[in-house]
Amino acid sequence: MKSIAVPKSDRRYLVMGNEAFARGALEAGVAVVAGYPGTPSSEIVESLAKVSKERNLYVEWSTNEKVAMEVAAAGSFAKLRSLCVLKQNGVNVASDFFLHLAGSGTRGGMVVLTCEDPGALSSANEGDSRHFSSMLEIPLLEPGNFQEAKDITTWGFELSEALKTPVMIRSVTRLSHASGNITFGDLPAIDHKAEFKHDGLRLDPDTGPVISMPVNYKHSLQQQKIQKAIEMFETSPFNTYSGPENPELMIITSSVCNLYSKEAIKALGLQDRVGILKLGTTWPLPPKLIEKHLRMTDRVLIVEEVLPFIEEDVKILAFELAEQIGIKKIHGKRDGHIPTTGEINPDIVIGALCGIMKMDYIGLTPEYTEKANAHVSLGSPARETTFCAGCPHRASFWHISQALKMDAKEGFVCGDIGCYSMAALPTGFNTLKTIHAMGSGTGVASGFGKLGQFGMDQPVFAVCGDSTFYHAVLPGLVNAVHHKSNITLVVLDNGGTAMTGFQPHPGTEKDARGGEAQQLNIESICKSIGATVRVVDPFDFEETQKTIFELIQMKGGVKVLVMRQICALSPEKKATRWFDMKVDESKCIGEDCGCNRFCTRIFRCPGLVWDWENKVSRIDDAICVGCGVCTAVCPVGAIESKEVT
Amino acid sequence: MQTGGFKELSEQVFSKDLCSTCGACVGICPYFKVHTGKVIPVFNCDLEKGRCYAQCPKTGIDFEKLSQNYFSQPYQENVLGTYIKIVTSKAGKNVNGGLFQNGGTVSALISFALENGTIEGAVLTDVEGLIPVPKIVENAGDVLKCASTKYAAAHTTSVVNEAAMQGRQNLGVVGTACQLTGVAQIRANPLEKTDFTDPVSFTIGLFCTWALDTRKILEYLSGKLDPATITGMDVPPPPAEVFVVKTNNGQTELPLSEVRTLIPNGCSVCPDLTAEWADLSVGAFEGKSEWNTLIIRTDKGEELVNQAVEAGFLILDEFPAESLEHLTLGAGNKKKRALKIMNQEVT
Repeated sequence: MKSIAVPKSDRRYLVMGNEAFARGALEAGVAVVAGYPGTPSSEIVESLAKVSKERNLYVEWSTNEKVAMEVAAAGSFAKLRSLCVLKQNGVNVASDFFLHLAGSGTRGGMVVLTCEDPGALSSANEGDSRHFSSMLEIPLLEPGNFQEAKDITTWGFELSEALKTPVMIRSVTRLSHASGNITFGDLPAIDHKAEFKHDGLRLDPDTGPVISMPVNYKHSLQQQKIQKAIEMFETSPFNTYSGPENPELMIITSSVCNLYSKEAIKALGLQDRVGILKLGTTWPLPPKLIEKHLRMTDRVLIVEEVLPFIEEDVKILAFELAEQIGIKKIHGKRDGHIPTTGEINPDIVIGALCGIMKMDYIGLTPEYTEKANAHVSLGSPARETTFCAGCPHRASFWHISQALKMDAKEGFVCGDIGCYSMAALPTGFNTLKTIHAMGSGTGVASGFGKLGQFGMDQPVFAVCGDSTFYHAVLPGLVNAVHHKSNITLVVLDNGGTAMTGFQPHPGTEKDARGGEAQQLNIESICKSIGATVRVVDPFDFEETQKTIFELIQMKGGVKVLVMRQICALSPEKKATRWFDMKVDESKCIGEDCGCNRFCTRIFRCPGLVWDWENKVSRIDDAICVGCGVCTAVCPVGAIESKEVT
Repeated sequence: MQTGGFKELSEQVFSKDLCSTCGACVGICPYFKVHTGKVIPVFNCDLEKGRCYAQCPKTGIDFEKLSQNYFSQPYQENVLGTYIKIVTSKAGKNVNGGLFQNGGTVSALISFALENGTIEGAVLTDVEGLIPVPKIVENAGDVLKCASTKYAAAHTTSVVNEAAMQGRQNLGVVGTACQLTGVAQIRANPLEKTDFTDPVSFTIGLFCTWALDTRKILEYLSGKLDPATITGMDVPPPPAEVFVVKTNNGQTELPLSEVRTLIPNGCSVCPDLTAEWADLSVGAFEGKSEWNTLIIRTDKGEELVNQAVEAGFLILDEFPAESLEHLTLGAGNKKKRALKIMNQEVT
């Protein structure tokens, strides 16, 4: 929606899950918001940044998630309500601070909102960070629908303030990125006043210093807070039961699995036989509430995504209560009814219910499936995971991969998270050989670069994006320079956090709110720590190839090559076409020896298409962005570029 | 004759480390590239038949077809190849002095051919440091810069591919056996391309027992001397067993046994000492370092030699019978060694 800051009314608004979270924070009177972009979380900070002036918010895209959590925590320490937004990877990045924050406690209500990605639709992992709540001993909330996404967020701030501990809220892709109808509540006053009291008694939570020591005392205090949380959760309206009084089977679930379970029960017509206990407060579990519901049935199915988090806690409680309530049969992940990887969907729940209830269910007849498949294969074009037309990464990896092959010393590239992760695929000429966390390409390369002692003499490259450079590359790079590790770091600088939607980073001139920011410079930073630095435009083939070979030849130490070219989709580029592209069909030799469809088979820019009938390459004008790069790729000069004047 | 493409070439030559870097597969397409003296298959091509395979001297040679195409006669199983006669030769008074390995015959013939217009350009091999840089030379004055033996295996044949692509004609080519076998196969237009024109007018072969892998010799010499200062190399006749590297600061003798380890494996299966697929072949003349051995193989070659002698570019003398015996023995031994290794490869 246009603005999430509209006043309360009787209207129902169709909003994206992430907008509902943002609205919930506004209704709680949040003042400080910090995060690092990451799918599926990015829209929360973005929609709050849009209303930051009228709602008197401080909103920033921080350098990384740990810094974001620290920035948000400062707001809390100064008695403001604060929100830290990240995805599952980010919880790991922030976890060191998070552990200490749980120990020190908070003041103003602080919510850590993590939007996770079961099935890894936009991630390199499907980490389940709910375990952080039990590991760090902080309350965990999981909304079960769109209205709850807003409401539970607002309540999360109150809970945090009441307990003086950070509260974690977990969303998933299908909640964050889907939309639903919700009603809005009141927006509070915006005259936030920040003051950090630090001169009070050492152990005073409101006026003393904010530290996690003495550890034993603070830790036991933290556990008392968790006991208080349990009491509050016993009566929380976010834990609801629907179904018969004594169901044959009780589903215990949370988050979007609540919706999938409802759909499955409806599809199978089991409304009178199966009930759903939907939990909104998933750690710590309220034991009395669980006991009450376990007493209603002998069989339980636990439906949740990724790991058996609720399942394990329910089983512990059921074991402890067995003497009073009898032995319960608990189905879930451990007996194979619900998978432990990937997303859950209604079909999976239907399958589990059919297995347990001994039912047959045919959702789609084989005839229908066959017919549908035939239509799908006829009508939809085959698409591969690929860099966009005109993407500078394609040109960059074209150069890097060829240079390493021509160097022929088994050189390789360590990568990390970004659009450029796709360079592990044919679109990036299968160039990346390791991919892990943000910045890890550089750290891993730093290690490889020291294996000469054990006879390894393969050239070692790392790549990172410009946003990643600031996020987590710097420590690895400093380590490599300090230890004289023999590596070349290629910074693919496309002018913004492109993958998640061009959020600003320390290298851009604007901040999250559109205000002026101090713009940092990658090459100056690298030079100042002692790396040899070159800057090239990957669209300049000759200069780029020459420079890569120059760096490969250079012995010892850290070399940094900044490959700078703006993302083809960047709003700054305003969809400008630099060249009108055309294939001269009389020159194109197509499948002949000497080419063999080099542009469409090897270079594979989606703007180039192979005309199967006439056996020539063509430009797809609807897709081509006019970067002009393929002119240099064609072996016979058949691709012509005319500068757009 | 077997046919193949990128896949077969990769399996039969590159995977077995049999490439001698002649460049016959380079310059036709974007799939093969040369970098610091090494031919690299950069991307996979899935054509079943390619010039890369057909032109490679290591994938098997159709001797009959080449012989008909080159000498207009059936292949003669002579260890020295097809030839009309063998003489000794050296540069005549009209050739400007240069740094010749021996008698300067090649430089004399190429300078003459460029000056009298027999050819428009000559495909020769220059070096940058130790890295071979084959190129087309169009002025007689530039020929001497490329004189003297390079030892580093060079991708000279790639220049002929490029010249054919550009539709150039009337080029003289100087190369070793593998390079000129590649050139002969290029000229036979193996894929019968309709737009093919032969860019070559004549070829001069260089006797070659082995070459050195550019990257290996660079690595070997690093720390011993600065490659940029190298002015020449030589293998003095036995029993010296040394490899001489001449630099601006004098010369360094290196044990030949060490240098031999830098020979590409591809050279070990080469059966051709005297570069049989050429109009003329030139090598050292044992015993008299200021003279060359000159094998005249074709009428075209003989005509060029006669004209060069007449113009004062070349001096000829008789080739003694005992030298022929030596040369035949040497060439025969190289063939035997290669055949033995090839048979081991097969079995």
